[in-house]
Amino acid sequence: MRIEQDVTRGAAIEISVDGIALAAFDGETIATAMLSQGMAMFRRDARGRPRGLFCNMGTCGECMVTLTAENRRVRACVTDAQNGMDIATDG
Amino acid sequence: MSKTDVLIIGGGLIGCATALHLARAGASVRLVEAGDINAGASGQNAGSLHFQMERRFLENGAALADQAARIIALNRLAIDEWRGLEVDLGVDLHVSQKGGLMVAETPEQVALLEAKSRREISGGLATQLLDGDAARALCPALGPDVLAASYLADEGHADPRALTPAFAHAAAEAGAVISTRQHVLSITRRSPGGFDVAAKKGDEMETLQADQIFVAAGAWTPAVCALANLHIPLFPVALLMNATERTGPILPQLIQHVGRRLSMKQAYAGNVIIGGGWPSRLAQRPDGGFDLNARASIIPLSRSGNLRAAIDIVPQIGALNLIRSWTGVTTISADQLPIAGAVSRVPGFYVAAGGSAFTLGPTFARLIARVMGGERVEALDVLSPDRFNHLNSFMG
Amino acid sequence: MAEHFDLAIVGGGPAGQAAAIALQGLDLSIAVIDEQAQPGGQILRQPPAQFAVRLWLPGRAYDRLKAQTEHFGRLDRVSWLGRHTVIEIARDGAHFALLTENALGVRAITADRVLIAAGCQDLAVPLAGWTLPGVYTAGAIQAFVKSQQYVPGERIVLAGTHPLQLLIAAQIVAAGGTVAEVLFAQPISAMFRAVLTKPLVGLRGSGNMLAAAAALRILRRAGVPVSFGSALQRIEGESRVTHVILASGRRIACDTVGLNYGFVPQSLLPRMMGAKVRPAGAAGGFAAVHDEWMRSSLPGLYVAGETTGVAGAPASQAEGELAGVGIGLDAGWIDMAEAGRQTRRARSRHRHLQAFARLLDTVANPLPWFPVPEDDTIICRCEDVDYATLAAQSGGGSANAVKLITRCGMGPCQGRNCEPSLLRMLDDRGLTSDPGFTQRFPARPIPVSELADPG
Ligand SMILES: Cc1cc2nc3c(=O)[nH]c(=O)nc-3n(C[C@H](O)[C@H](O)[C@H](O)COP(=O)(O)OP(=O)(O)OC[C@H]3O[C@@H](n4cnc5c(N)ncnc54)[C@H](O)[C@@H]3O)c2cc1C
Ligand SMILES: Cc1cc2nc3c(=O)[nH]c(=O)nc-3n(C[C@H](O)[C@H](O)[C@H](O)COP(=O)(O)OP(=O)(O)OC[C@H]3O[C@@H](n4cnc5c(N)ncnc54)[C@H](O)[C@@H]3O)c2cc1C
Ligand code: FES
Repeated sequence: MRIEQDVTRGAAIEISVDGIALAAFDGETIATAMLSQGMAMFRRDARGRPRGLFCNMGTCGECMVTLTAENRRVRACVTDAQNGMDIATDG
Repeated sequence: MSKTDVLIIGGGLIGCATALHLARAGASVRLVEAGDINAGASGQNAGSLHFQMERRFLENGAALADQAARIIALNRLAIDEWRGLEVDLGVDLHVSQKGGLMVAETPEQVALLEAKSRREISGGLATQLLDGDAARALCPALGPDVLAASYLADEGHADPRALTPAFAHAAAEAGAVISTRQHVLSITRRSPGGFDVAAKKGDEMETLQADQIFVAAGAWTPAVCALANLHIPLFPVALLMNATERTGPILPQLIQHVGRRLSMKQAYAGNVIIGGGWPSRLAQRPDGGFDLNARASIIPLSRSGNLRAAIDIVPQIGALNLIRSWTGVTTISADQLPIAGAVSRVPGFYVAAGGSAFTLGPTFARLIARVMGGERVEALDVLSPDRFNHLNSFMG
Repeated sequence: MAEHFDLAIVGGGPAGQAAAIALQGLDLSIAVIDEQAQPGGQILRQPPAQFAVRLWLPGRAYDRLKAQTEHFGRLDRVSWLGRHTVIEIARDGAHFALLTENALGVRAITADRVLIAAGCQDLAVPLAGWTLPGVYTAGAIQAFVKSQQYVPGERIVLAGTHPLQLLIAAQIVAAGGTVAEVLFAQPISAMFRAVLTKPLVGLRGSGNMLAAAAALRILRRAGVPVSFGSALQRIEGESRVTHVILASGRRIACDTVGLNYGFVPQSLLPRMMGAKVRPAGAAGGFAAVHDEWMRSSLPGLYVAGETTGVAGAPASQAEGELAGVGIGLDAGWIDMAEAGRQTRRARSRHRHLQAFARLLDTVANPLPWFPVPEDDTIICRCEDVDYATLAAQSGGGSANAVKLITRCGMGPCQGRNCEPSLLRMLDDRGLTSDPGFTQRFPARPIPVSELADPG
């Protein structure tokens, strides 16, 4: 749930995660954009169990996603969403 | 006080594997390891099973052709050894022998590959020369700069983390007594034969008596041999390794380079392991000399050079995240060949260290155990420590 | 060519800022490097520059830190390198070479001196189901609320032993979110007993006590149950958490869980460099060792804030101040008399705050209250190593040896999450004072191409 009261966000932007368009705001991290649309799973582990992000501060590496244009794997919780970003999870 | 037929100093691959063979042959065996089993080079290496001739041997010119042929003979023994290892030990060692490609990027390197494979074929190794496209057909991840490759179907890789503990476990089952965190501090010769060895664990000193001593202490081998008043010309070297995050299967084979330092493979878990002999910096002791017990440090130029070579050969590696670089310390002899066998001026004293002893270690161990049992093993002649006998002629 | 600075400070939290401020007015170039976009550290987690938030983080405790952050923003000759992650610090001849990374690439920086003020992180506590999507560290939830102005869940359960979860719950409620329940594993008597043995110390830390009391009032008003002696046993769900089960068998429906058993220092960088560390306390982890001017065991390297032990933001500020002045002293920018004068107050504050921190450690001590993992509970999240696998190996030697055998600690997080759990298991087997995993380059994952020669 985005907090609305007393908060003005950056410009509305759109990113795409696994082919799904997500509305987000300038200043939000990729992690926030994903969670706010209910995308809590980032990958499946070696035993096929669903996995989500954990620390939201860059230390655990559980939130790795791929920026497809740059073919670069980044931590979603410390990477800001940019308009037009195309992102793939390992889920 | 413990009394055994054999005392092995060093709980790396060579020590643990030799303990197994000796114990199976009926000897009473004690193995002493200063740290934990597999804490030395054996647990930190790249895990390559490379049987094609190493680039460093090609640089020595035709004079060493004979030596090279004997190394090839050892490599052939090692191929068979590896094929049987998982069954013998009853452990999944993640052995993958799906072939190895040694690549070339320039015409000069292609010529080197050709010379190399001629020598290998005459030594009985079934190396095949492939052009760039044929190599890419085998391994589609190879980039466009690969002009040619020599292919050997027996090469591959295995899990260094699994091998030595498996040997240690099997050795213990066969009756060897293994103690860890116990340092050997002195070696005394008894007359008429045998040795008294003092070893320290925590605050406790223990005297270990044995008829035979086998030093398998990796880079520490010269220091341990010095306790017996012996010069063994082995020198420590620190090497760099890198691991990427896991990814889907992209590299079935072992990849090496004939003209650049590079070894690359995808371990069973999916990480790509990148190395190839790039130097790291050994720690130094304040009083001079190298400190083998402190961590060697990474040389940034080695790291960037190694990773460049990896990307040039397999471009998609560039997009993977590096999750770890580490340094490991191994040892190289004065003439680059491993040292393995009896030190004949001290009856009952044996040593093995140096070289690519992940690939060859299990074979060395099997052969050394036979030598220690009194057999003459010709295959080891080329590695005999006695070739450096002159160094000990003033040692008394 | 690398940019050169007189001083590089890793971390722009209360400690890093205080150090930069202590050096203001001197003609120095200072880089302050932080993985977060905005200065303020974990306690403030400022909203992004693109956001405008009225009434951001109300409260006296925060006001002081906000004022410091504003002051910090006004410093000239300080280069703020936000969203830059330091992945390596190495000695390079006379100076230090730092490598930073972000989505745009790597950046090389050199500095004559380095201060590591990297703060702390939540202690990761394994229990059945903790790897399900929707289970976070409590700090993660709080950071979403503070910085991103986002509440990550419809019904949140907070569980653990640390009183901070009261504050976090109150912040969620204030933001309009729903907290299903706050669960303390320890009985309330255990917490009171600790405070009563040291009433004076408790009084001095009364700011925190008052904050906790205020949070309790907010929660009571909002009808959020706070339970003591209520230990979490399992977290369950299919593709995401749907409920938790307590040791008592009680079941609470929720879609989000925040775990809060305490904090451990972020000391990876000093450990990578070979600086001396010590066990940080009951929660686990290692704290960087320092002298009275926050010098680490390595020449030219300083440490401050929660990298040296978790003691709260005011203590971090005090340490940052000491470090800043200490650096000035060593460089000859400040003389001894001046340094002593400048730091008298910080020193005495620091002493009192340390006493309070030890009291808080006792109140929040998770050791007796950790959930019991099940055989297939994952301990190492990166490599999926479970409890049974580790239990079978943890008699066998050091953390490094177990790592080699099981892969525990071999993933991208460098063992930051699993190391305390594994060390506790070793400890239980009498293998005490293990130095933990050897910490290796890089501090955070980085694309291979970024490190390769340009070619
Ligand atoms: C980074 C790196 C990559 C490599 N890659 C490969 C590869 O891909 N393929 C390949 O074939 N080879 C490779 N090697 C070489 C290979 O790892 C070694 O040759 C092999 O592991 C040597 O085994 P060892 O048993 O002789 O020595 P070690 O594994 O080093 O064991 C020696 C042991 O002796 C112990 N010791 C020392 N002093 C004492 C004492 N006083 N008392 C008791 N114990 C003592 C040490 O603690 C240590 O555990 C690599 C080496 C390194 C460092
Ligand atoms: C998630 C979380 C939430 C917290 N919430 C509260 C709270 O509400 N109230 C409270 O009293 N205490 C809280 N704490 C404790 C709080 O962190 C401290 O009391 C205070 O912020 C410590 O200040 P510091 O300067 O030592 O470290 P921090 O404030 O943590 O600052 C350290 C900074 O270093 C940066 N950093 C770390 N490693 C690197 C790197 N490799 N590269 C670049 N930058 C790096 C981090 O991004 C961080 O901004 C929290 C701790 C955490 C981990
Ligand atoms: S959630 Fe831990 S690194 Fe992003």
